[in-house]
Amino acid sequence: MAERSDLIIIGAGPAGLAAAIYAARARLRTLVLDESVPGGQVKTTHKVSNYPGFPEDVKGSDLAKAFAAQAERFGARVRRAVEITKHDLASIPKKLELDEEEEVEAPAVIVATGAKPRELGVPGESRFKGRGISYCATCDGAYFDGKDIHVIGGGNSAVEESLFLTQFARSVTIVHQFDHFQAEAATVEEALHDPKIQVIWDSEPRGFLGENALEKLRIENVKTHEFRELRTDGVFVFVGYVPRTDLVKGLVPMNQWGYVETDESMATGVPGLYVAGDIRSKKFRQITTAVADGTIAALAAQKWLKEHR
Amino acid sequence: MSQLVKEITQAEFEAEVVRASESQPVVLDFYSTDCPPCEALAPKYDAVAEQFAGKARFAKIFRQGNRDLAQKLGVTGSPTLIFFAGGREVGERMGGEDIRRTAIKAQVESLLAARAA
Repeated sequence: MAERSDLIIIGAGPAGLAAAIYAARARLRTLVLDESVPGGQVKTTHKVSNYPGFPEDVKGSDLAKAFAAQAERFGARVRRAVEITKHDLASIPKKLELDEEEEVEAPAVIVATGAKPRELGVPGESRFKGRGISYCATCDGAYFDGKDIHVIGGGNSAVEESLFLTQFARSVTIVHQFDHFQAEAATVEEALHDPKIQVIWDSEPRGFLGENALEKLRIENVKTHEFRELRTDGVFVFVGYVPRTDLVKGLVPMNQWGYVETDESMATGVPGLYVAGDIRSKKFRQITTAVADGTIAALAAQKWLKEHR
Repeated sequence: MSQLVKEITQAEFEAEVVRASESQPVVLDFYSTDCPPCEALAPKYDAVAEQFAGKARFAKIFRQGNRDLAQKLGVTGSPTLIFFAGGREVGERMGGEDIRRTAIKAQVESLLAARAA
């Protein structure tokens, strides 16, 4: 027998947990599922400075725990490290198989699976993943104590995490494809004044080289087309994200980059199926916008459930 | 924590992992503190260890306390899963947040099948 909830939320990031807070307070039997621990991308962000309510910076992992604790306080069940091994999100009720051994179902589902770090797709990248190439500064920064490392990217994540990495590394060289950063001005200013941080502008990675571990990063200046090989102890890659859409592929409309199209109530067109957060097609992806999506999805799902019982 | 996952130090690596893998596949997990993906992996790793109890061994090692071995094996990220059989490293390493329970299971199964063949 499948365990029945009113609402299942897939993904325990800011969108999913905001939805869970609203749904649980509306007294919906709410089940939240995550393949990892709660927090989504926030849990591995070393600090968050732009989330309202925190006049001092808050550690991403602390904010993640607070989101989850708040949802659980109102009765949402947040299940960690569960994998969805089969799914039927088209029918009602929607059914999921967990870890190949258990079934759960609910008439309404919110998919808030977010996005994962984009890989560069450059030769040598898969070979040196975990052998010098990393996508998570909080997880792997300490491996590079006293080392000379490189960061690829120029958005908020790249510049913020470069600052974080200076507490371990001897030097951090940022390689960015443009001649200016896309990160917030306050962060950029801090980075440009940091004595440990250097920047190589107008350059893109073209390859990773080494014997057993990564030794060299090959880059191309996109203006002069000159190639260089840089000696490196490690490379952190922060070049954006790709949506995690495996569960809804073929079921809901997506834009050309694979993000899910919804109406303004986060509805997908499939009855009872909503999406929220970074997986959704929209202009800005922030913790605050994810939380807003989650709130709207939960309220919309609640209304839909009332009308369809 | 599952008793089926044995915590080792680098001094025990040769005996508990390399030599032990001559009789049974051994999986080794490098983990760190302040590593949410490591926290997420732990219950999945325990569950797989339970599934293969008696057929394959599962060990874990704390990276911060065993830097030399991490360096020797070229491990620069947590979590990293390394698979051993026949006294040497085999198959692809797994790392990061997206290690799936089903993927670990599949790799251990293929090592067991290779031994049986």
